[in-house]
Amino acid sequence: MTEINEQLSSLIDNENVESKSLDALIHDKEQQDVFSRYHLIGDVMRNETALNIDISELVMAEIAQQPSLATVTPITATVVSEKSDNNVVSFMKRFGQYAIAASVAGVVVMTSFITSQPTLENNGIEVLNTVPFGGGVSPVSLQANKGQSKQALQDRHERLEALLKDHQLQLQVQP
Amino acid sequence: MNRHSLFSTIVASVLLLLTPLGNAIEVDGNSKELVVKEESTIPSAIEYLQLMQKSYQIENYEILYLSSLQKQLEPMQLIHGIVDGEEASYFRYLNGVIRESLQYAGKISYFEQGRPAYTIESGQNRSVFANIANFDYVKGKQSYDYVILGKGRIAGKQSIAIRMISKDDYRYSYVVWCDLQSALPLRLDTINKSNVVVEQIMVMSLNVSESSNPWLAKLTTNALPETVHIPESTTDNSSQWKTTWLPTGFSVIKDDQHRLVMHENEPVSYILLDDGIVNVSIYISEKKLTLEEPQKLIRRGATVLYTEHRGEVEINVVGDIPVATAQRLAESIKLVTDDH
Repeated sequence: MTEINEQLSSLIDNENVESKSLDALIHDKEQQDVFSRYHLIGDVMRNETALNIDISELVMAEIAQQPSLATVTPITATVVSEKSDNNVVSFMKRFGQYAIAASVAGVVVMTSFITSQPTLENNGIEVLNTVPFGGGVSPVSLQANKGQSKQALQDRHERLEALLKDHQLQLQVQP
Repeated sequence: MNRHSLFSTIVASVLLLLTPLGNAIEVDGNSKELVVKEESTIPSAIEYLQLMQKSYQIENYEILYLSSLQKQLEPMQLIHGIVDGEEASYFRYLNGVIRESLQYAGKISYFEQGRPAYTIESGQNRSVFANIANFDYVKGKQSYDYVILGKGRIAGKQSIAIRMISKDDYRYSYVVWCDLQSALPLRLDTINKSNVVVEQIMVMSLNVSESSNPWLAKLTTNALPETVHIPESTTDNSSQWKTTWLPTGFSVIKDDQHRLVMHENEPVSYILLDDGIVNVSIYISEKKLTLEEPQKLIRRGATVLYTEHRGEVEINVVGDIPVATAQRLAESIKLVTDDH
């Protein structure tokens, strides 16, 4: 893979790559397979693996294999048996289908609001900038919403995110 | 490959010499190379933009690019090609969770790590640069002026910068950089009225080829994930709300009542506006949560989400527009009929 990456990057950097090596890269099925192994899309389309990487059952199975310690109370059995016919799970999976439409399209995940100063640009309206996951937002920013419970704030975030995602979805399915 | 490069270099050099003297550049349909026409004049800004549009649709290319907004960088890749006479494009995020999409023959499939893959029926191209590549520049003259800013170098390519200046304050302006050789877009800056870049897309590597990427062709022949059907709008299709004001160039292209599938199936009245470059969604719904401030505004790059409360009604405006436009649109929403 490293060699191929090097070839690919030399291909990008330098247009004077020998056409033979280019052809070799394009037509070598083995190299292509190695390349596409790193792509989910290839896996899904070849039906090699389920894209839904649900490792919980594997983990449970692994746990079941482990010798039980006397000090640990086994609780895994009940969890596993209930999981399969739980309606909530299937609903969440369905929910997720729509949710990702937007995530691919590049929509925000809002975790925090920061209040900025009113400026000429925003006509004096208080601006709340969103910061995606991983953004360095200090906890102080939550003070911007003092008086509101965290739950209410969470509800609002979810709703706004749903609006943004629906916006993306409407654009994509537009006739 | 070597001869090809040499030829390109010669053409580029000739262009550099001749262009200031009053010659035109055109995309030749057969060789897909730029040729110099002796008798023509320098292409105008709009002609460059139209060349860019054509190349974006018909060429086989691969780009690596960065999307930059609010100090966040996101590297992405797009592979575009013509497979059996139809456009195919493959897109992926290069960092973090694997997110990919494939668009071909009226369908777009999404793949994300840990989630079931699915397909949506969609004839819309929403990938990078698609907004400027599908814009009707002639019609757009009512909203924008097109000006050539000059030449520069982007992603190692000689390129030309063209500014689309908004004629009013209700939309953003743009600077589009096009490769002089292939005419493909290399950079797009979204600029507010204070000349601040609010969003930027910058190509780092562009690779144009004669034939499409074989991997792309292979993908299009494989079975797609299951198609998801988006719930229908209500039988009474039209929204009971109307906008009483629209910025120049915008028109209502959709008007319905549907449910937010991602949020408790909440019913909303919905209006979709379009000006060719950006789309604006307006949601009118029941007020769910009392906010401390009467108005709320969320912004990420060029995208704004503006909320207005009016009695028991909540109006949300979403789109890549300046705040003032979103605010005025929300204010312009009026109830047409009341059947309930």
